[in-house]
Amino acid sequence: MNELRDRALKALRKPAKYGPDLNLDKFEVDKPVVGGELPREVASNVEKAFTRVGLSTTSPLGYLQVNEEAYYSAFQKVFSKYGVKVYPLKIALEKFSLARELAWSLIPPDTDKYTAKAFLEGGELGYFVYVPPGVNLPIPVYTCLVLTSEKKVQYTHNVVYVDRGSVAHVVTGCSVPHGLKGGLHIGISEFFVGENAKLTFSMLHAWSSGVHVRPRTAVKVKEGGEYLSYYVIYSPVASLQSYPIVYLNGRASTQMVSIVAGEGKGIYDVGGKAVLEGVESSAEIISRVMAKDNSIIYSRSEIEALEEDSRGHIECLGLLLNENANIKTIPVLSSKVPGAQLTHEAAIGMIADKQIEYLMSKGFSEEEARALILKGFISVEAPKIPRTVKREIDRLVKIIVEKAVG
Amino acid sequence: MEFLVVENLVAGINSTVVLKGVNLEINRGEIHVIVGPNAVGKSTLLAAIMGLSHVKILKGKIVFEGKDITNLKPFERARLGISLGYQIPPEFRGVKLRTLVEEVAGKYGCMKYMDTLIDFLDLRDLLDREAFRGFSGGERKRAELLLTFLQKPKLAMLDEPDSGVDIESIKLIGEAIKFAKNELNTSILLVTHTGEILREIGRIDSTHVLYDGRIVYSGSSEEIFEKIRKHGFKGVVEVERVKG
Repeated sequence: MNELRDRALKALRKPAKYGPDLNLDKFEVDKPVVGGELPREVASNVEKAFTRVGLSTTSPLGYLQVNEEAYYSAFQKVFSKYGVKVYPLKIALEKFSLARELAWSLIPPDTDKYTAKAFLEGGELGYFVYVPPGVNLPIPVYTCLVLTSEKKVQYTHNVVYVDRGSVAHVVTGCSVPHGLKGGLHIGISEFFVGENAKLTFSMLHAWSSGVHVRPRTAVKVKEGGEYLSYYVIYSPVASLQSYPIVYLNGRASTQMVSIVAGEGKGIYDVGGKAVLEGVESSAEIISRVMAKDNSIIYSRSEIEALEEDSRGHIECLGLLLNENANIKTIPVLSSKVPGAQLTHEAAIGMIADKQIEYLMSKGFSEEEARALILKGFISVEAPKIPRTVKREIDRLVKIIVEKAVG
Repeated sequence: MEFLVVENLVAGINSTVVLKGVNLEINRGEIHVIVGPNAVGKSTLLAAIMGLSHVKILKGKIVFEGKDITNLKPFERARLGISLGYQIPPEFRGVKLRTLVEEVAGKYGCMKYMDTLIDFLDLRDLLDREAFRGFSGGERKRAELLLTFLQKPKLAMLDEPDSGVDIESIKLIGEAIKFAKNELNTSILLVTHTGEILREIGRIDSTHVLYDGRIVYSGSSEEIFEKIRKHGFKGVVEVERVKG
């Protein structure tokens, strides 16, 4: 641990590879607390934040973090019936050797200054989820991270382990109440998918024009495992930079879907990378990004093939909703093996007048025509996402379309 | 009440006058065909009746079921029961054909015909593809016909549904047109270059030759195609001019 600490200390000024560089000294940090009941004065803000990401307070919440305070007790019993452990990481690190073994094993603390700060200052709030072998967990584990104070930084460190042959769905809503003018969220997520296990991870995000967001995610998928991520962000943001990396062993597969609706003056630097480390591993990275106002979206995706008979496909489509917005797509394919099949397609366009007129001739008003095109564009099928979560995603799609048209 | 009346229609694209006084009457339930060489205004006439913005109406009027629709927007005309099957529909990047099909069927309460028409037109395998992207000629026409008929239109205007289409697709398109006429009581105004589709759809009520922006001759399709084969379009026009 001391060695990691030394490395983190050395990385405190190390900028991230992508995204605008932030001065971290201007953000304050609270003392991390694992609390019991949610105080009433916090509850109404939290409820508003929930609604923005399509969740409700009746969702089976496994973990809630408001700023630097963690609450978790409510649904412990529901999950423990299945042998599933859901704890704040801070507690899991005390209780379970597995948590200690896994934490910081996929994301080195000296990756950049954000990971270094999280390691040194974070207090290990965040969630720990362990699903034992052979369990098909029928209810999704909902987790929610809410930021309500403007000058502060929220750290969260999440570790999920889905053991051999198990199936689990994790949903994380990250949100702030409307109009928050500042704040920084740094999230470290390390996920492990065991042999022939399946994990779906849905991230529903709604930030605000002053908030900076720096998630750091890495996923390890063992032989025959499956990892599906579905990422939606639609709100303004000051800047967001995220580049999850998924490492795939033999026959393991991943599908990574990102839906990004940029607005205001936000800088959205989003994407993902899959490393095909095993024979017959496969990856599909799908992005649908749309930008309006003066927003800039960098849509990055990379698939790196290291083994024979691996397959990968990148599809990145961008839609500009006005002329001041900017979308940059950066698809990268990299292979060291002749037997790997890698493909990509990328395109950026605007809604064409002839498309609108075509739909108007089919009976749609101009507004309805725009909404139809946008809804079709951002609705990416992911059959493995559970129906309850799909309903929440659909609610967000509706909000995104209404905002874009109006 | 008269169903569709186009009266002395003069219309243009940019600064070019394309239609120079078109008169046309269609009764409910009829099938009419328009033929003519390239660039005489066949597609422009359909676009003008649909109200598409690239066609400017300079004179004359269009009356549908007794209502003057000359100044209505395309979606208002569509909601009165007029539909246009495009010759080349636009591609929709990222939007599945299924989305368009479900939205149109939902709008016009045609969910119950949806599956029948999808099977008629052999489109099931195309539903999850991006709408019109990379479709073959036949696929494009069949998908467009599906969207046109899902509007349950009183009048369907079909712009060259048989051009660039394989024989198999022509048969399917013919079946779908018959279905629309018989089951949905749809009147048809059809533009064709080759007349190939006509063999598949049975009785045609009237065929019109459009030449240089005017309808110069109307008659039965057999008679007109026979004359075109013998004398060419120009010949037909000159013979009629001498007679006239």
